[in-house]
Amino acid sequence: MNDWEYSESIESAEIVSIKKKYTNYIGGKFLEPKSKKYLNTISPSTENLLAKVPLSNQQDVNSAVNAARIGFETWSKISPSQRSRYLFKIARLIQERSREFAVLESLDGGKPIKESRDFDLPQVAANFFYFAGWADKLDLSWSTKTLKPYGVVGQIIPWNFPLLMLAWKIAPALATGNTVVLKPAESTPLTALLFAEICEQAGLPAGVVNIVTGDGSTGSLIVNHKDINKIAFTGSTQVGKLIQKSLAGREVGLTLELGGKAANIVYEDAAIDQAVEGVVNGIFFNQGHVCCAGSRLLLQESIHDQFISKLEKRMQSLRVGNPLDKNTDIGAINSKEQLDKITNLVNEGLEDGGELFQTQCDLPGNGFWFRPTLFTNVQPSYSIAREEIFGPVLTTLTFRTPEEAVEIANNTEYGLSAGVWTEKGSKILWTADRLDAGVVWANTFNKFDPSSPFGGYKESGFGREGGRHGLLSYLKASS
Amino acid sequence: MIDIKKTYKNYVGGKYVRSESGKTYTKELKNEYYELPLTSKKDIRDAVTSSKDGYKKWSSTTPYLRMQILYRLSEMIEGNKESYVDLLMDHGVTKQKANKDIDESIQNIVWFAGLADKWEQLAGNLNPVSEEYFNISHQNPIGVVFSLSGSNVSLNELLMSILPSLTVGCSVISYSEENSILALKFAEDINNSDFPSGSLNILSGKFEKILDDVSKHVEINLVALHKELDNDGLKVIEENASESVKRVFSQPSTEGLSSILPYLETKTVWHPKGT
Repeated sequence: MNDWEYSESIESAEIVSIKKKYTNYIGGKFLEPKSKKYLNTISPSTENLLAKVPLSNQQDVNSAVNAARIGFETWSKISPSQRSRYLFKIARLIQERSREFAVLESLDGGKPIKESRDFDLPQVAANFFYFAGWADKLDLSWSTKTLKPYGVVGQIIPWNFPLLMLAWKIAPALATGNTVVLKPAESTPLTALLFAEICEQAGLPAGVVNIVTGDGSTGSLIVNHKDINKIAFTGSTQVGKLIQKSLAGREVGLTLELGGKAANIVYEDAAIDQAVEGVVNGIFFNQGHVCCAGSRLLLQESIHDQFISKLEKRMQSLRVGNPLDKNTDIGAINSKEQLDKITNLVNEGLEDGGELFQTQCDLPGNGFWFRPTLFTNVQPSYSIAREEIFGPVLTTLTFRTPEEAVEIANNTEYGLSAGVWTEKGSKILWTADRLDAGVVWANTFNKFDPSSPFGGYKESGFGREGGRHGLLSYLKASS
Repeated sequence: MIDIKKTYKNYVGGKYVRSESGKTYTKELKNEYYELPLTSKKDIRDAVTSSKDGYKKWSSTTPYLRMQILYRLSEMIEGNKESYVDLLMDHGVTKQKANKDIDESIQNIVWFAGLADKWEQLAGNLNPVSEEYFNISHQNPIGVVFSLSGSNVSLNELLMSILPSLTVGCSVISYSEENSILALKFAEDINNSDFPSGSLNILSGKFEKILDDVSKHVEINLVALHKELDNDGLKVIEENASESVKRVFSQPSTEGLSSILPYLETKTVWHPKGT
């Protein structure tokens, strides 16, 4: 007798208990903000209030930086192998509580549970595991003993991969002996605050990790703080430039991981069905809220019509909706502000003369949503072909020769990532060599690993995160 | 006693050129009196155009050939050692120190020559990703580098402001103020060597006059300052640089592998493994 039961497709939100009001995490203590002010954080898929978090002011940032300075004294005296073991322990604790984190990430940020559960959280743990092992091998990493930690590092992270960006920042900073003041994004602060509990559970010495929440004003206070030794920022190119300017003439280290407008080049000799999958993953992963998203599809002219028809068919099968539904492919747009930005750019694309294809599907009544969108008949001068949209919107351009493909791909101030699709190995290597991009995915896209350096050329920023090269972002040469 | 007047020109695109402004400034040494070009904004723009072209040629030169061109330079300096020593002594450097400076210069050129075909093995690596992918990180030179040389009259210090970026395939605009006579004499050896035109441009003048133009020029990818500037100067440069996310390094390390790291962009390439 068959007794098959289907499990519920909606992941239960009960697994995580969300407090009504959160505090900062400073010097190993959960402290109410001296500002006495709070921000609301909502779920973008329902617009319901999830919690209130501190809107930290100058006094709060001062406390956090002071705590990190004291923490640095402690952290510097701890043996490298002990530092390594703290990081291993954090990695293990994240694995143990990963379901809780995944649900919270999807609630607060709107990303599909299958991504937060199967991508974000495993990668978060992997980053702590990877950098744990470097903490006691720094002298081997670049064959020199002259590299030293900066000291107190201010870290400002975005809302697209909230906990993963935290891991990309905190794991290498701690492994190299720095202490941190981290500010999560205004719209996605909750997993960072849950991470504070992990630090406590791991028995991490007070002041090594400090987390303050707030908006852009709080970020600016961290950047301009006199006792900060280094800033690590991930976010828009516009804000990155402002930070670089604020640090002018000051002896403060800086790494920037900024925007992108990646070309995903498909040659006529590519495996077309695989390329269609790769292009879909390249732009619709995480609602297109990805700095390295393959947002410019570059098709060789001869395969344009065939490719677009397959792509539209594949797009139509994408499921948009409740992020907690395990079948959802595309969740909610992170905020009203972002939804407006995407809408405006798409309207501009239409006015410019682009041809629009959007999938037909019902969207939930509340929350922020945008249908998977494809533009064809686009000129390289259109804003949809130049500006970072940071949403589920793909723009198509065509080329005739490999030389032309490279020229179009590099014709942007950005240089974060690129994709190449062809079955011909020599053409992959030829193309990859000529692309001004920090990451090149050949016959794949949007792959990440803690051992693999990530970061941009040109106005996509400087410094690398991940891998042996990522250590250099947190070490400075000193004799 | 001043008896001979020598007029130097800037070295741009493999040619000796006067400053477009027609302006010069003078420098008086113990025995000789020099006239030197006062580089203008337009000269900087011309140098950048030449450097972009030089970058294409130099960065696509094989590491094996780059190594030999650099090594040949050391032979030329060695052959002209006496004239360099004389010039340093004319600046007031003692004979012993002048000899030491040139010996160190030669030693460092040889060191960097040997690095030209090895740095990629030292700075790049395969990444052990946890899925079935081939994943490698290797480096590209960052492009056009503007390098302000130090204020000590020393061929070795001048070289250490050029060699790290040049070795990895960048094109370099070397700018000297205090060191300019030495730098423009050095340009003669560069002109007689096999460096492609535009790969190394050598200019002289007053840095404060072009500081703003250099730091605003979007086609200069990196500014390396081998001289301590007053804080306002550095602030202006870094503020201007932020408009195009330009890299600025103030007194970067010139030692070992650390010396070349600022001039490299790391590129990571992924490819699936499968049948």
